[in-house]
Amino acid sequence: MLSPYLSTPSVVLIGESGVGKTNLLSRFTRNEFSHDSRTTIGVEFSTRTVMLGTAAVKAQIWDTAGLERYRAITSAYYRGAVGALLVFDLTKHQTYAVVERWLKELYDHAEATIVVMLVGNKSDLSQAREVPTEEARMFAENNGLLFLETSALDSTNVELAFETVLKEIFEKVSKQRQNSTRTNAITLGSAQGGQEPGSGEKRACCISL
Amino acid sequence: MCPGDPKWLDVIERDLHRQFPFHEMFVSRGGHGQQDLFRVLKAYTLYRPEEGYCQAQAPIAAVLLMHMPAEQAFWCLVQICEKYLPGYYSEKLVSGRLAWDQPQAWTPSVALPGPSLMEAIQLDGEILFSLLQKVSPVAHKHLSRQKIDPLLYMTEWFMCAFSRTLPWSSVLRVWDMFFCEGVKIIFRVGLVLLKHALGSPEKVKACQGQYETIERLRSLSPKIMQEAFLVQEVVELPVTERQIEREHLIQLRRWQETRGELQCRSPPRLHGAKAILDAEPGPRPTLQPSPSIRLPPDAPFPGSKAKSKPSKQAQKEQQKQTKARGQPEEPPAPDQAMVEAAAGDAYPPQHVPPKDSAPQASAPQDSAPQVSDHHRSQESLTSQESEDTYL
Repeated sequence: MLSPYLSTPSVVLIGESGVGKTNLLSRFTRNEFSHDSRTTIGVEFSTRTVMLGTAAVKAQIWDTAGLERYRAITSAYYRGAVGALLVFDLTKHQTYAVVERWLKELYDHAEATIVVMLVGNKSDLSQAREVPTEEARMFAENNGLLFLETSALDSTNVELAFETVLKEIFEKVSKQRQNSTRTNAITLGSAQGGQEPGSGEKRACCISL
Repeated sequence: MCPGDPKWLDVIERDLHRQFPFHEMFVSRGGHGQQDLFRVLKAYTLYRPEEGYCQAQAPIAAVLLMHMPAEQAFWCLVQICEKYLPGYYSEKLVSGRLAWDQPQAWTPSVALPGPSLMEAIQLDGEILFSLLQKVSPVAHKHLSRQKIDPLLYMTEWFMCAFSRTLPWSSVLRVWDMFFCEGVKIIFRVGLVLLKHALGSPEKVKACQGQYETIERLRSLSPKIMQEAFLVQEVVELPVTERQIEREHLIQLRRWQETRGELQCRSPPRLHGAKAILDAEPGPRPTLQPSPSIRLPPDAPFPGSKAKSKPSKQAQKEQQKQTKARGQPEEPPAPDQAMVEAAAGDAYPPQHVPPKDSAPQASAPQDSAPQVSDHHRSQESLTSQESEDTYL
């Protein structure tokens, strides 16, 4: 049996069917939006390289099918994820009402340290809004999630959402690397000699998250 | 009209405009194509409330609706879900036949706890990958080295029977063969695509990382998907039903060793129209005559040397196809005929399931025979057009 996730950790897009996960991804990776995009069957993925400070970070983003039926397949991809965008449609309260269930599902399978952002998508449809911004923001705060409202259609906050998550991950990873470098330096002695603690985040290099 | 489960209706409605949105039948929101699609998918959730709706059923139903009235499309969908690809679209099924034999006695509330299940498709992913070893060792080695789960590329291929992958003319040919010969065709198409996308050292070299490989499989070269080439390759690929069944047993055993018993026991998969017709118990009632062309019973059968065909229905259909296509020597599987053979004896109204089951209530009214003519006459046009838009 092959490992269901690729060797480099990644970001997953999750949430109910039809909230706009695929369009968020295509807006971010290809600057495209489709009014009649097809339903996602199973799992798809895409990459984009973004600059975080001086580091080029290659983000690998997994787009999952929203329908519960696919959970057996899609949840396997949570395992390798270091970040998640939990998307709901702010014009459909039902997609927000189940956010807690999604969160549980995510934490059941993913690392406890995963960075999660709650994303209210379709902010361009303000006249049809069913989920007040403050309500969602409060929920996010109470659950330790990042929060943003986006519109894949008019691009509002799409870059910001992904970049915020990636930045947060990057900072976490850098911290971990610092720590582990220190530990290694002690245990392995001269083997790590050339590597200064904390140099990882300063080097301009390509890092896969 | 049965109201249906709002949970499913909501999901179905969200998907209606996301199936072949550029096909003239489905282009307008709330248009007749989308309405029919809604009714067919809803009817299935009423027919098998324990299964409900699976998103991959929508493209399948949409393709069917391009070729036949809604009621026939519904019964074809049923056959595909239950005979051709059992388990693909199911969720939590109680083990064994109980659930299948007495659908009414079973409701989702008594579902066994556990993860939602798509074991059938996962198992087929393993089977496909294993078969690939013989078909294209290079591709197999490459995918194996990059640790790419078959589910990443084959889920959509298999669950949608390639309807969202191939150019339209190839979809139609593949579906013809699929109805006629069963899932073997789906495996073969998958193997041919893998073989030609990743089957040589140069091709593999171009796919350095996992992303490149998946991208290659996601945007396949049009050359290998082209109808004549693909069909030729599929026909010639030496992968038999027996091999698939044998591999199925091997993978099943492996599954049981590593993950325990299957939670979802699907009914056995039947390999094509003939196997399905043979498996139907009892005397076969004559299929309802198609209203569009009526031949006198002893009319000569032009363009064909009266080969033995499963039914009169199929003969008539074949003749119709022959005329429409002007290709009398076309090999065995005229799509409409096979589709109807695929629908099996579920087709005539007397086989509509018992009073309390739903499709009767929700079965589309406009599928009355007289509408067929109209439907059929549009068929070639819409197929042609969709081919254009697709390409």
